Amino acid sequence: MDFDALINGLDRHTLDGITRGSIYALVALGYTMVYGVMKLINFAHSEVFMVGTWTVLGVYTVLGAEAGAGLGMVIGATLLALIAAMLASAGTALAVERIAYRPLRKKGAPPLIFLITGIGCSIVLVETFGQVLSAFFGPPFGRVTVNVPSVLETKVVFTIPGLDLPVTNTRLLIIIGAIVMMVALDTFVNKSRLGRGVRAVAQDPDTASLMGVNQDRVIMLVFVLGGAMAGVAALLFTIQYDITKFDIGFIIGIKAFTAAVLGGIGNLRGALVGGLLLGVVEVYASQVWDSSWTDVTAFIVLVLVLMFRPTGLLGESLGKARA
Amino acid sequence: MIRSSKTWQAAAIAAAAGLVLSACGTTDTDGGGGGDASGEDCNFKIGAMGALSGANASIVIPSVDGAELALDQWDNDECDVTLERFDTEGDPAKATPVATQIAGDETFIGVIGGAFSGETRATKTIYQDGGVPMISQSATATDLTQDEPVEVFHRLVPYDDYQGAAIAKYLTDEAGAKKVFVVDNSEAYGEPLADRVEETLGDAMVQRDKTQVGQTDFAPTISKMESAEPDAIFYGGYIAEAAPLLKQIRDAGIDVPFVGGDGLYGADFGNAVGPAGEGAIVMCPCAPIEEDSTFAADFEDKFGNAPGAYAAEGFDAMNVFLAALDDGARTREEVLDFVNSYEGDGLSKQIAFDENGDVPKENVSYWAYKNTDGKLTPEVEVKPEG
Repeated sequence: MDFDALINGLDRHTLDGITRGSIYALVALGYTMVYGVMKLINFAHSEVFMVGTWTVLGVYTVLGAEAGAGLGMVIGATLLALIAAMLASAGTALAVERIAYRPLRKKGAPPLIFLITGIGCSIVLVETFGQVLSAFFGPPFGRVTVNVPSVLETKVVFTIPGLDLPVTNTRLLIIIGAIVMMVALDTFVNKSRLGRGVRAVAQDPDTASLMGVNQDRVIMLVFVLGGAMAGVAALLFTIQYDITKFDIGFIIGIKAFTAAVLGGIGNLRGALVGGLLLGVVEVYASQVWDSSWTDVTAFIVLVLVLMFRPTGLLGESLGKARA
Repeated sequence: MIRSSKTWQAAAIAAAAGLVLSACGTTDTDGGGGGDASGEDCNFKIGAMGALSGANASIVIPSVDGAELALDQWDNDECDVTLERFDTEGDPAKATPVATQIAGDETFIGVIGGAFSGETRATKTIYQDGGVPMISQSATATDLTQDEPVEVFHRLVPYDDYQGAAIAKYLTDEAGAKKVFVVDNSEAYGEPLADRVEETLGDAMVQRDKTQVGQTDFAPTISKMESAEPDAIFYGGYIAEAAPLLKQIRDAGIDVPFVGGDGLYGADFGNAVGPAGEGAIVMCPCAPIEEDSTFAADFEDKFGNAPGAYAAEGFDAMNVFLAALDDGARTREEVLDFVNSYEGDGLSKQIAFDENGDVPKENVSYWAYKNTDGKLTPEVEVKPEG
């Protein structure tokens, strides 16, 4: 138990935790929105994230972007990869909804069937990248870790005075990106007409359709938005870690889902709070002990929070009517 | 469903069981038949057991290909030998029915494998009961020959206790490091290896950290490294985590030598680590191919790519079995006796087996491979004992 290591570098560790947590938060948004509107845990969401990372790799490969490229190429490639990843992830989420969940909704299937179908979709997507595509195209697909070119090179942007803490461009991008996306999504849900539809369906689907809200459209919108957030997370992930894999979604998905529950599932701001908190708890635990204790600590924290606040830290859900 | 009688139920269960059992024990018969003849007395099979598919196949397939090449190059008119490949995916649970099948089939007089330690551990008693001689090309766990050794098991690679000592020796002697940062992935291969490195390094180790399988964000480990200021880093684990770890180390501006164990020795290592992995060192008990032998060219001719991990060891394993047949051995016991006392010049090393089936101490050797331009090229040989 090394509390000195934690206290001495508290600023540094908090920054590391917030960086890690921002990615969790962005992916958590997908889980929390779908749950808020459909009361469904979408287990295929982790693979929506995975598809985004492969799209980024694809864009870089097509453009021939490499580390050490000129500024124009860096900005162009990164922006293009961002848009492509958002589109691909949103598209995957939408496809999962249309192919897997909608037929079940039309038939009024029990919730358990939705869960199993989601897991099935997840496995299909993982195996597509791990097995099927590699049988057709060979590398880089397959069950191996793949390098994503480090187009945006890590550089220290500034140092926080007083704390003497260097902040790199990639970290800054991740944290700001997560916050901006979160604020945008929150504003959309709370202020726009479509957002009001989302909240209405979350509160009471039948009454909402009586009021003229098209339930199917709202659900599609929710999947697309969650998928787009996962696409942003995918780009930020590849910028920071420079890798992808056929099953990269698995662990990120579990952590993000945990973060969503921690913050209050069905609550958008809860996804941010939960994600950041989870990231920080993990990094702190890695300093006090070592990284093999991160999961134990994170889940103990989760259990404690749920024991005292079963609906999560921020509790209230998407559909609760606010005065 | 209509009321089904007990008879129908029993028949259905029997049919299902029959289907399942026939699906088990997938055998890909890959006949590399060397020697063409009538051999009514000498018609045998040699099994190759290992992960022929899945994430780790790149560590196993080259060795089985090497064995097939040896069989192709064999010249014996009296004998007809086939190599049968069995895919276990490196999983002990899948390896057990394979072992039962091989042991129960009298035409198998030997097995090359298991390729991984877990599956070898699970199957060595089955082979022992059947008297099937085993020569493993890559199973390195120490306990396989040190705890409850079985007579049939032999291996052409030294066990991991040696590897830890060899790595430590490389770090202190070749890399000249005095403050090594040791990291492992907290699982059955990486952790004992790192333990052994730590033990041998003694004061030369500055700090030890543990990470997890599946981890992608190593920021806590990096900040520990920045405080400890090591002059070398050792990682015990596999490529999947080593790749992001190494990239994050280089991104943080830590330029010291990075050394890994044989878990990183795979054809995809260079691809996974990218430019950040330039100059990384991977220690392996697998020998580089002699420059003057035709092995590499022959291998490339037959299989279309250069020999990979443990190809030479697989080649040697098959040759030991074939030498037994050349010598007149025709039963499992005779082959076992021959293998036990075999001494000869192999492609990978001087071949001999001590009383536990291990490489004799004086022949134990490791090679440090450097990642240059995405390929692992041999740099220096390290003998852990003197």
